[in-house]
Amino acid sequence: MDLRPEQKLKRRHGRADNRAGREAVAKAAQVTHNGAGMIARRDLRVSVAARDELSPTCFRLTLTSTDTLVAEPGQFGMLTCGDGFDPLLRRAFSFASVARRGNQTAVELLLKEVGRGTGRLRRLGSGETLRLLAPLGHGFALDVAEGERLALIAGGIGLPPVLFAAEVLATRKTPFDLYLGAARAAELLELERCAAATAAVGGEFVLATDDGSRGERGVITAALARRLASGRRWARALACGPNPMLKAFARLAHESGIEAEMSLEEPMACGLGVCLGCVVELADGRVVPSCQEGPVFPASRLAARWWA
Amino acid sequence: MSVTCAVRVGALSLVNPVLAASGTFGYGLELAEFCPPEQLGALVTKGLSPKPRLGNPTPRIVETAAGMINAIGLQNIGVEAFCRDVLPALAGRGATIVVNVFGETMLQYLEVLERCEQEHDIAAYELNVSCPNVTAGGMEFGHDPVQLERLTTACRSRTRRPLWVKLSPNAPDLVGAARAAVAGGADALTLINTLRAMAVDADARRPVLATGCGGLSGPAIKPVALRMVWEVHRALPETPLVGIGGVESGRDVAEFLLVGASAVQVGTAIFRDPTAPLRILREFQEFCAEHGIHDATELIGGLQWR
Repeated sequence: MDLRPEQKLKRRHGRADNRAGREAVAKAAQVTHNGAGMIARRDLRVSVAARDELSPTCFRLTLTSTDTLVAEPGQFGMLTCGDGFDPLLRRAFSFASVARRGNQTAVELLLKEVGRGTGRLRRLGSGETLRLLAPLGHGFALDVAEGERLALIAGGIGLPPVLFAAEVLATRKTPFDLYLGAARAAELLELERCAAATAAVGGEFVLATDDGSRGERGVITAALARRLASGRRWARALACGPNPMLKAFARLAHESGIEAEMSLEEPMACGLGVCLGCVVELADGRVVPSCQEGPVFPASRLAARWWA
Repeated sequence: MSVTCAVRVGALSLVNPVLAASGTFGYGLELAEFCPPEQLGALVTKGLSPKPRLGNPTPRIVETAAGMINAIGLQNIGVEAFCRDVLPALAGRGATIVVNVFGETMLQYLEVLERCEQEHDIAAYELNVSCPNVTAGGMEFGHDPVQLERLTTACRSRTRRPLWVKLSPNAPDLVGAARAAVAGGADALTLINTLRAMAVDADARRPVLATGCGGLSGPAIKPVALRMVWEVHRALPETPLVGIGGVESGRDVAEFLLVGASAVQVGTAIFRDPTAPLRILREFQEFCAEHGIHDATELIGGLQWR
């Protein structure tokens, strides 16, 4: 079946910059997109190329497909967890990387085992096939003016889109500082890649753990707050992590007047804007599916409960 | 072997018996790249109310064993925006459009109908008298045969288009509700809507959903849906039925037709796979071919009871 085509898609407010970037990417890769600023969504057949343990709870799943996939940091896919009715629904995962490898596309996901779906994914064997609906949603705005820098903030398993952004920014030589936090040292993921990407642009790599077993003791937003208090500023700060972290982040950004974007995680059944399970309330009163208008939102667009 | 898949639901002819269920296919265009709406027997829109509704607080959905519970609360863009912004494009594709109608009061149901009556290109209405997730309207009409007959009669008087009534499996007397809808002038009955259900977070000692309870859908409810379609079909053999509840395969379509449905709606399966209705239709055609069935209508009500 032909999965391309004209679809109706909402345009994102005030994100022409990102849209131009997406179009350029799509053009370069000769990928069909729908003329509304979004590369057409497809249900890709993917197979498990590798599964690597990263921590006591987290693992990396590398999927390959002969289908082309182009995605930007912050976008996500809906992945099946095997055949059968239990678990019933796909799971939403932001990409940690999407790249061409020869005539294949390789997609990296960093996952935390939290239930039946992720438990099943953790036990997949090499070569098993799954379906991945992708690319979905809108990613981070990565463009900055000459001489400006970005701050990237990740908490726990919120790392994937932030790592993706860091590695893309490193390739583009866009300077950034990276803040990575977790409950304890063992749950700090992909440290070498984070360090390498940050070093490539001469950025500061800040670590924090709740128990102080690595880096600064306390939550990562406290580490960010200390830098802000000493006068550091960025053109924009991008974050992904658990909701308490994102709220603290949004509050900091609001108080210090920094443009902020955050990737939200809401329970999601379809990822395509029809189930209306993953809705988020915006400052203008609208209630929108985060799979369509997010999952990355400028903090200023979100309802006040996110930063008040 | 060629299989004729066209069916009729009362006076309405459908090119095939597989429909997209309300609340799982948006307003008809959202998933067009995966499932062109014109290739379906029909699409049933998200429930439309006179004014836009914001729906319930989150979390609104939770997965359960072979199912999911939702408490969306009929978030929708309102009938005016649908008629103005969506209907022309949808009709332009040649889709068969069934508008799902919702109101908190009888007057609100009539308001939606009257707005739709100004439009061409609507094939039928489906009255939602069975949503378990709203505090007013919906299920309260579906549970009381007297109110349901009154509502159906009032809606009947406003339109000559086919009128379907979507029944609640939570009603104390399903067959009584079915008879009331037919007495009020319903052309067909859709059954079943979701089953009232809840999920509990034992760690937090709280219900998972913000509203506490919601409606269960998915494969878990298919046996209940089959039983209910069969019961209503036995009680009202002349009334066309549209079966819904956990349809995931072509074989499921055959099962619903055998217990008396003239067509089926695919719902939660679309969340798993946006191409599901077309895959299910293809599987159903294969099922018919394998069983020497030339015309899908041969199956309708064909269950042999022991």
